This record gives sequence, structure tokens and C-alpha cells, in this order.
Amino acid sequence: MSAPMIELRAVGKSFGANEVLRGVDLSVKRSEVVCLIGPSGSGKSTLLRCVNFLESYDAGDVRIDGRLIGYDDAADGTRRRMGGRQLREMRREIGMVFQHFNLWPHMTALRNVVEPLRRVRGLSAREAAERAMAMLTRVGLAAKADAYPSRLSGGQQQRVAIARALAMQPRLMLFDEPTSALDPELVGEVLEVMRSLAAEGMTMLIVTHEMGFAAHVADRIAFIDEGRIIDEGPPRRVFHHSAEPRVRQFLQTYHDRNSF
Amino acid sequence: MNPDLIWRYAPSLISGFGVTILCWGAGAALGLLLGFAIAVLNRLPLPPLRWALRVFVEVFRGTPFLLQLFLLYAGGPSIGLKLNATTAGIVGLGLYSSAYFAEIFRGGFSAVPIGQIEAAVSIGMAPFDTMMRVMLPAALIAAVPSIVNMLIILSKETVVLSIITVPELMYQVQTMAAETFTAFDAIFAMAVFYWLLVETVSRLGSRLEARVTAFLAHEEARA
Repeated sequence: MSAPMIELRAVGKSFGANEVLRGVDLSVKRSEVVCLIGPSGSGKSTLLRCVNFLESYDAGDVRIDGRLIGYDDAADGTRRRMGGRQLREMRREIGMVFQHFNLWPHMTALRNVVEPLRRVRGLSAREAAERAMAMLTRVGLAAKADAYPSRLSGGQQQRVAIARALAMQPRLMLFDEPTSALDPELVGEVLEVMRSLAAEGMTMLIVTHEMGFAAHVADRIAFIDEGRIIDEGPPRRVFHHSAEPRVRQFLQTYHDRNSF
Repeated sequence: MNPDLIWRYAPSLISGFGVTILCWGAGAALGLLLGFAIAVLNRLPLPPLRWALRVFVEVFRGTPFLLQLFLLYAGGPSIGLKLNATTAGIVGLGLYSSAYFAEIFRGGFSAVPIGQIEAAVSIGMAPFDTMMRVMLPAALIAAVPSIVNMLIILSKETVVLSIITVPELMYQVQTMAAETFTAFDAIFAMAVFYWLLVETVSRLGSRLEARVTAFLAHEEARA
């Protein structure tokens, strides 16, 4: 039995006196899709950012395919920061998609995808361009290859951002509220790309408020509140039969707000 | 106003204008280079270095250019730094403006949205590539208006070089005024030359600005 793709054990994180994560345990198996849901400020984005060490954690372990990220544990039990090179090597295998896309505005869509392939993967200009073009085609944006991000809609920008992450051929993908900054009518095109990724067997950890998407695509839902996972399980169970009052209350509010 | 007089002094005025442009161009290039280096070094996590750079910037921003130039030219030889007037003028302009350019670049770097940097970091890009490929272009774009502004200010600071006998425009104008007792004509000629220079720089600057920001034009451009 191989190690889970992502394994979190007793992960803790504080910003000053504010304890954002209070001992989180979570594991994501290969090809599994897990959605993190919960109220804002619950720590779900912070948790996601600990997975690629964009945010450092203070306690516990975050393991990617069995390997601790961000720290080196010495034999005597002491822990020190991982070297920059090793950390970068690990991050290359972890694709991340942000709420605000974070495309580089001075590069065309194609260049956004090409640049990491050249600088990080060390591909030749031709190989990088070919792979980047294939990725843009994959997200349906081959025609927009030469457009700068400012000329693209939010949905198109997010699809370019997904192509950029995907082109690196990561072993897993993290999504930090990928549709929260989009106009409602643009949400679908991004979710469609994510759905197809899931169908292809990509391991995905997704912070989202799209309950419909989570219900249909996720293998598991983890509900976070006040820095803890208070419920976890298959979508059907968490969404319809959770024993946790906090989860039911959250979903009820969500349901009320979205019905008319 | 005496056209004959201006005509007679035209060669020396034009040569002075040439020296002005040379000093301005070379001084600005040096200042930009130094200022950029300072701004980049300032980002390294080395407190003593940052402190030293801070002192450098404060000294060159906090004292009059006239004083710096005089110290460099007249005081330089006592520490073995013997520069001819024009070289001293260029070095002086470079040091003086580097302090301002360093601040402009620092502002530019801090204007780079954190998300763009996080995108590079999360994808595993090395710090050097992140700097060159992501931060620098974004910082430059943010800094262009301030850079153009500083270049214009600097073009006018070149008049100060006349006090250390650099044969630039102001120096020639003073010579002309002294030889012909016609302060007005001389100064009028100078004003025309400077106006030409500043106008050219600011037009080029606007073009550059338009170019670098073209692709940042937001939604409204599309609507």
C-alpha cells in the first residue's frame, strides 16, 4: 500500500495569537478528489496553502507522496526549514490554482504557460511552446494564445491558470476557491475543466463554495470550522445526513441563500 | 533680443547643449543602473547591507546636489579620486540620481501584486527567475511614470555642472552673457534648448508609458 498523495497529521498554524489551524488530520489518496468546505475564516485556504508550503505550518506533518514538505526532520527529533532547492523540487509536482488567477499580466496567455516550462522544467523553446499550446487547447483556449490576460474574461483567465499548472504535469492539484472571483455565468466553464481533470484521475484538493460541484465531483467532503475538520465523508452523507449541527446550519444558510 | 548675437554664439551653445545631453544621458544611465542595483540588494535579507544602502540613499537625497558635486570634484583628489570636470559631473549626476531611482524601483517592487509572486513560487520557480521574469517587468511597468519624471528633473539638474566648469549649456550661456553683457539673450537661448530637451524626453516618456501599459488596459478598453 503506497502512501497517500497528501497526508496531513495534527497540522497546526497560528498567525500571532490567532490559532487558524488546530490539529488537522486529512489524507487524500491518489486520484481522489476532496473538497474542503466551511465558513469563511475557518482556515480552509490556509490549510490548502500549507500543502505546498506557501504558508508554513507550526505543528504536525504535511506529507506529499510520503515526503514531508517544508521541513527536514533530524534523527534527534529536531526540525529545521527545508532548503530552497528541495522545496522548489517538491512544489513543481504540486499544481496550484488561485482565486484571483494570478496570471502574469505582462505575458500573453501562451507565454504564461511557456515560462514555467522553460525556467522550471528546462524545456527548449519549441518543446515548451508545443506543450503549452496543447494545454491551452485542452482548456479550450487555443484561439486566445496570443491574448494578454487583461483581454480575457475571468473564466478564460482561470482556464489559462489551470493550463499553466497542468503543463507542469503535477502529481496533484490544489484549487483555492477557483470560481469565487468569477461572474456567475463564467463559473461553469471553469468547473467543466476541473470536472474533466477529475475524470482523468488527477488528485485534487479543492477549497470551494460550489456545493453542487462538490456534491457531484468530490469523492469526499471535509468540513472545516474554526481550524478543525469537524465532519468528513462522502458528499451524500455530509450534505444530507451530517450529525454535526454546525454543518447542518451552514448548509441550511447556503441553501436558503441560493433558493428563490 | 539680438539675433546676430545668438547666431554668433550658436556653435558654442550647440556644443554646450551636446555636453548637457551627454552628461544627462550618461549620468541618468549610471543612476538607473546603480539605483536598480540598490533596490535589488535591498531585498536581500542582510541587515548590515540594507543599513549601509539606507545611509547611502539618505545622504544623496538629503544633501544639495551642488554640495555633492563640489565635494566630489574639489574634495575627490584629497582621497586620490582625480576626475576631470565632465567625468565628475557624470559620476555626480549618477550618484545623486541613483538615490532617487533606488526609491522609485523600491516602490515599483512593492507594487507587484503578491499573487503574481505566489504563482511563481508555487510553481517552483527559482528566486532569480522570479525576480527577472515576474517581478522586474511588473515593477518597471509600475515605475515608468516616476522614472520619466526623474529623468526630466535630472535634465535640468545638469545646469549645476557649470560650477565645476563642465562646458555644458549653462556654462556656455554664462560665458556668452559675460562676454557680451546680454544676460537676456543668453538666458532666452538656454530656455529654448531646455524646453526642447524636456519636451522630447516627456514625449518619449509618454510613448514608452503607452507601450508598456498597453496590455494592462483593463476591461474598460474592451467595453
